[in-house]
Amino acid sequence: MSNYEFFKPQTVKEASDLLKNDGYLALSGGTDMLVKIKNGFFKNLKAVVYIGGLPFKEIKKENDKVIIGSGCTMEEVATNPIIKENYPTLVEAANTVGATQIRHMATIGGNVGNSSPAGDSIPALYSLDAQVVITNGTSQRTVEIKDFFTGPGRNVLQAGELIEAFVLPFRKTTGRFMKLGERSALAISKINLAVSAWEDNKKHYRVALGSVAPTVLRSKKAEEILENAAHPLTEEAIQKASEAARETADPITDIRSTKAYRKQMAGVLLRKALEK
Amino acid sequence: MKIIFTLNGKKVEAETTAQMTLLELLRQNFKLTAAKEGCGKGECGACTVFLNGSPINSCLKLAATLNENDSITTVEGLEEDKLMQRIRQSFTDEGAVQCGFCIPGMTLATHHLLSKNPKPSLTDIKTALAGNICRCTGYRKIEAAVKNAADKGE
Repeated sequence: MSNYEFFKPQTVKEASDLLKNDGYLALSGGTDMLVKIKNGFFKNLKAVVYIGGLPFKEIKKENDKVIIGSGCTMEEVATNPIIKENYPTLVEAANTVGATQIRHMATIGGNVGNSSPAGDSIPALYSLDAQVVITNGTSQRTVEIKDFFTGPGRNVLQAGELIEAFVLPFRKTTGRFMKLGERSALAISKINLAVSAWEDNKKHYRVALGSVAPTVLRSKKAEEILENAAHPLTEEAIQKASEAARETADPITDIRSTKAYRKQMAGVLLRKALEK
Repeated sequence: MKIIFTLNGKKVEAETTAQMTLLELLRQNFKLTAAKEGCGKGECGACTVFLNGSPINSCLKLAATLNENDSITTVEGLEEDKLMQRIRQSFTDEGAVQCGFCIPGMTLATHHLLSKNPKPSLTDIKTALAGNICRCTGYRKIEAAVKNAADKGE
């Protein structure tokens, strides 16, 4: 391991000021960061800024919104009563990250901040119309989750900015999160998919696919087919939606899987999610 | 830098570096060698310890991140714990221990499972132990040992 410094700021402002320095990186749960640090992934690492002491650990309902602090662990997200009651897709996604030990450390803010196209909480957040609250200790800005990512491992965070929370519209949703990996635990997804649905005066669907493009994609065509279909869904509607998901997927062949397999599985995962 | 935390029920002080992991601190400074480094990247569970009662991979936790109100428990700290004694007996009775390297982590993961879910299904057991790898591949006997420990708890 390289010879970096360590800081444990107690306020957001303090953390933000530290993170403005070149080579200073934020550390939360550490389950991705420590592996990368040990592997020498960060050539220019000068300091680790531990943000686990910041007040980003609450999940609460405020009027028509649910706010999830970025420092909540996957375990805290998956077991929170508000989340369990309203967002089953996010519960399933959080429960498939790593294994028990990882889920007690890894944070949802870290999963999004890391910005891997395969991050398991990300399609779930897309499917729930999440917004990302970004802070620099003095002011906040909010971006739609789809506008947060700019490429694999890249996002709109500027030096000195931190993810404070995720905001979800409060609504009772149903849904599923599906993932394919080498094994069910501790595997980085070859492909993952989140479907969330809710109903007001009409049916709404969100279909989000991970690991099939540089950032997570929504299959708006699949959503449209599902929203306009008769319910319960017919075999024909499921078939059409699955084809649409397959068309949306624009994957590459890499170390984890192939382009053809991922594309094919996009349709299969949507079918399985809808049939359950 | 100096850190203060609770280790196996006692307030302790230690000198750490920015780079030292909790696992290294436990093994080197405190000579608590039950937790082990297998993979060093959070995949094998041999380094499992409890942080504030929940299992974590100590190889992925920087010692410097510990706070004064944090409590770490290792297998050594559960000598007198009734549930852990039962788990240990069950692992012995079922012949679930081969080389033993993974066992401290396996028993801690089991302890966490049974303290939350005293009557786990086989799926519950497999899910709870999914973060612990046994390279002797003694999984069947380990699962039987967890089941046995659960049954004896009745």
